Order: sequence, then structure tokens, then C-alpha cells
Amino acid sequence: MKFAIAVFSPAHAPSSRRALRFAEAAIQSGHQVARLFFYQDGVHSASSNIVTPQDEVDIAAQWRSFVEQHQLDAVVCIAAGLRRGVLNQDEATRHGRPAANLSAPWDLSGLGQLHEAAQLADRLICFGGD
Amino acid sequence: MSTLHVISHSPFADDRLDSCLRLLANDDGLLLCGDAVNALRAGSPVEARVRNADLQQRLFVLAEDVRARAIHSELAQALDYIAFVELTLKYDKVNSWL
Repeated sequence: MKFAIAVFSPAHAPSSRRALRFAEAAIQSGHQVARLFFYQDGVHSASSNIVTPQDEVDIAAQWRSFVEQHQLDAVVCIAAGLRRGVLNQDEATRHGRPAANLSAPWDLSGLGQLHEAAQLADRLICFGGD
Repeated sequence: MSTLHVISHSPFADDRLDSCLRLLANDDGLLLCGDAVNALRAGSPVEARVRNADLQQRLFVLAEDVRARAIHSELAQALDYIAFVELTLKYDKVNSWL
């Protein structure tokens, strides 16, 4: 089966960890993760500048390696990203900002990608809140 | 069309759980995770409301979240993540109360 997973909370929120564990379990069970969509505060998960305290689990780093390992389609909402200062090099240049903090494997794109994922997947599962 | 409802917010902080219980259809399921598992804390008023909702066989909790909070309840079936994934496929849709 195909899963689309939307993450609405930053990497330090319990629900982001839950989303990651769910995605790992889906793949472990032989299912496909058709797309990951990071929306609202979820876009912070993709920032290259996150520094997690040494005594905490680095969920942002785990997201990155999970996406890379399975070569997943990981989309960060562009409007939510710009609003929160999560920019790739193109957007940093376009808006005259001094630095970019979003790079591969993440892809900045629009909310249409969430809609499309909901259509092409068998289940859309959203994770947010506590 | 059956729906699996997923709630992660504490029932002591807002009324998501009560709203959900009110509109839960007969073939819908409910999964509690995160702070929402506090709804199963024995002797609390919210636990009584969950008990009265009569959700046998369709109330679930994430095992790691009840274990982390030392909550023991016979009202819900505890799931690991593999079982969580399979549960989402037993319902037509999954609605997370964000």
C-alpha cells in the first residue's frame, strides 16, 4: 500500500518522532511511502541549522538520513518555509537573504504536492500537536 | 465509510476527545497517542467518559505512550508502530485531530 505522510510539527515535538517511527514501520512492513510533506511548523525539521542538545534524540538528523536512505520524495511547503526562514539557495537569492538553510534531500514546493499525495496514496496520515 | 480518529492532545487541556466521542460513528475507531493516553488514567472523570462510550474492540493506544506514563487500562488495545500502520489500513480514512 502507498502512504502519504504529512508532518505539522517541528522535529523537537513528540508528534514528529511519531511520524518518523510510523514511516519507518510502514517501510519495514513492505509498504511504500509515496511522499512526505512538511507543513506549518513541520518545515523546521528540514533546516540544516538545527543543533539538538547532546542528551536528546536528534529527530531532525534521523529524518534526513531516513529520507536519504530510502530516497523518499520529501517536500517542504514553500510558503510555510519562507514564513519561518527555511530557504534554499534559490529563495535566499530571490529574497535577498544572507543564507540558505535547506538543501538536498529536501525539496521546496507548493501545497499542491500535498493534494496530489492525498490523491495518489491509499492513506494520508497527518501528524501534529503534542 | 469508516474512519480511524487519532488524538494526541491531553484530554485535560482541551475538548478534542469529547468532540470526537460525540461524533464517532459505530464503525469508526479511535487511537490515542502522546498525551491523549492520559484519557485512560484510572479514576479520572475523562476515563469514565471513555468507559461509557463503550468502544470495545475499537479503542487503541500506542504502547510506548502508555508505558512512558505508567498507565494500565483494559479499555484499549496497545499497539506498536507496525500494528499502528496495519490499523490505518483497516479503516477507509484516517483523521488526525491536529
